[in-house]
Amino acid sequence: MDGDYGIVARGVCRSFGRVDALRGIDLTAPYGQVTALVGPNGAGKTTLMLILATLLAPDRGEVRVGGIDPVTDPVGVRRQTGWMPDAFGLYDRLTVVEYLEFFARAYRLDRARTARRVAEILAATRLVEYAHRSVHVLSRGQKQRLALGRALLHEPRVVLLDEPASGLDPHSRIELRDGLRGLAAAGVAVLVSSHILAELEEIADRIVFVSAGQTAGEYEVGDLANARPMPWRVRATDPAALSLALVDYGIGGMAPNESGVVLPPMLEEQAADLLAALVSAGVRVVAFGPVGGHLESAYLALTGDQR
Amino acid sequence: MTGSGVRLVLMQEFRMRVRTGRWQWLLGSWTAVVWIFTGLLYVVLAEDRYNDDPVGIPLFGGLMLFVLGLVLLVSPAITAQSINGDRERGTLATLQATLLTPTDIVVGKLLAGWSVGLVALATTLPAVAWTVTEGVTVLRAVVTLVVVALLIGVVCAVSLGLSAMLPRSITSTLLSYVFVFAIGIGSPILFGLSSAVLATNTGPTRDDLVWWMLAPNPFVVLADSAPQLPPKRDPYSGRMIPQPNDPLGELGREVRDVRRPPGYQRSYPERLDYPNDHPVWPLGLAFNLAMGAGALVIARERLRSPAHTLPLGTRIA
Repeated sequence: MDGDYGIVARGVCRSFGRVDALRGIDLTAPYGQVTALVGPNGAGKTTLMLILATLLAPDRGEVRVGGIDPVTDPVGVRRQTGWMPDAFGLYDRLTVVEYLEFFARAYRLDRARTARRVAEILAATRLVEYAHRSVHVLSRGQKQRLALGRALLHEPRVVLLDEPASGLDPHSRIELRDGLRGLAAAGVAVLVSSHILAELEEIADRIVFVSAGQTAGEYEVGDLANARPMPWRVRATDPAALSLALVDYGIGGMAPNESGVVLPPMLEEQAADLLAALVSAGVRVVAFGPVGGHLESAYLALTGDQR
Repeated sequence: MTGSGVRLVLMQEFRMRVRTGRWQWLLGSWTAVVWIFTGLLYVVLAEDRYNDDPVGIPLFGGLMLFVLGLVLLVSPAITAQSINGDRERGTLATLQATLLTPTDIVVGKLLAGWSVGLVALATTLPAVAWTVTEGVTVLRAVVTLVVVALLIGVVCAVSLGLSAMLPRSITSTLLSYVFVFAIGIGSPILFGLSSAVLATNTGPTRDDLVWWMLAPNPFVVLADSAPQLPPKRDPYSGRMIPQPNDPLGELGREVRDVRRPPGYQRSYPERLDYPNDHPVWPLGLAFNLAMGAGALVIARERLRSPAHTLPLGTRIA
């Protein structure tokens, strides 16, 4: 079923005692794309990741990872799946190379492939100079890169990353973004959960919102922009001229502040018309964009009632 | 289970243990304690000997009982955190998600812990070899060492099972010690009290009803499983008597006497049938091995994934 999808989950339920962590979640993650899993804390993102990573059995529902059912054939899923958990430990006493070699063997890579993959991962994670240093001397960002490299050792076709960007500095996040885009370009199905919405907007092709253990919406990032009107912010070199032009346009009365004027909710086409009108009216616009990004406003709209 | 998987986990655990340091000090102080004990016991025995019995026999018995006590004290600490400790450090789940099987992980961790105990036991080998030159049969030395080695494995396995069952490593360590306490001290206390309760009714003692309470005791297993030494002729009475001054043999004969039905004559000549009598150690050793095997099965079940149920308070990752 679903040959183009690295991950398919339908109606997946899982409870822990009386707590229903997942209440019928639906999700698909195609090969060659980055799918983001977005939702508030406790929405069930990590639980779903654990089910996809073959560590947790769902109570109900259908799951396929790389076309394989993780409940009946967990080994088959593990062969082609890389997973990086939310909170993870590294073996502090090992060197970086020893750490990678250990996992390469645990994934039953043969000697030649182990050597090749360890070298490739060291280069890709820019840890070559740390190859023979102990893992515990690495910085947080380096550890995060090592853990990601570990998840990719056996060249999985499906990659599950639980909050990979947490605790990363901006530079490391850009690297992560490029790394994930590279995986998707190579045909891997990437599922990544995160809170950092601005980053996801650049990384992801598709967004799956989850809330209280259910899928609240599944969007292409491109469609998200026009899914609903959202507030826009505009700033010009001359605030007074901007205010006048806005009044002329029929949307006056907003008080400008240091960061500009927040405009009422508009779709992208409406916003583009307004910008064109402002520019042709001679207003020197220096910033014009949706407040908080498409993802953030969609997130707040879809999950706001849960708080 | 795969040989390469077990070997990988074993080597990994061993490497981590070696690098966690201070083991040189632990092993050094262990060896020192064993040799100080052996030396002091030798001096005491050499001074106190009332006849020309070989000094090696009581020396070996005393040493092995002492070493057994020491390994029982140390073994729970070796593996009682090996699974929930990994879980607490966040390294277990990534291991479970690899192609290693639960059996690979459990057996590898057991062998790593067990081999630490065996290394400690191995440091006593020179002292044991010395007692063999002083009159202990090689058979007895080998059997006794094998039994101690098995008991170390049992305690490691039970501790490993507890570390898989319980979310917190401190609880599993505590319960591992409770297990050692139960078989080491609880079993004779239970036997003694039960025997006293039965004896309050007038009549013969009925220890034969409760002898099995002693069987799981590691000291009883060790002493009773030690091959008996040939009897010797008492220079005063001219009768054949068991080898005197033999702690293992005497303890073994005591626990076998306890099994006998009431009215049985307990006199020295009868005790010579010791090897053909009803031994206690097979039951005790079987009990211990069953506990260890059961703990390993539980540990493997706990590591099996995808998990359907999780122990209370456990997070996978």
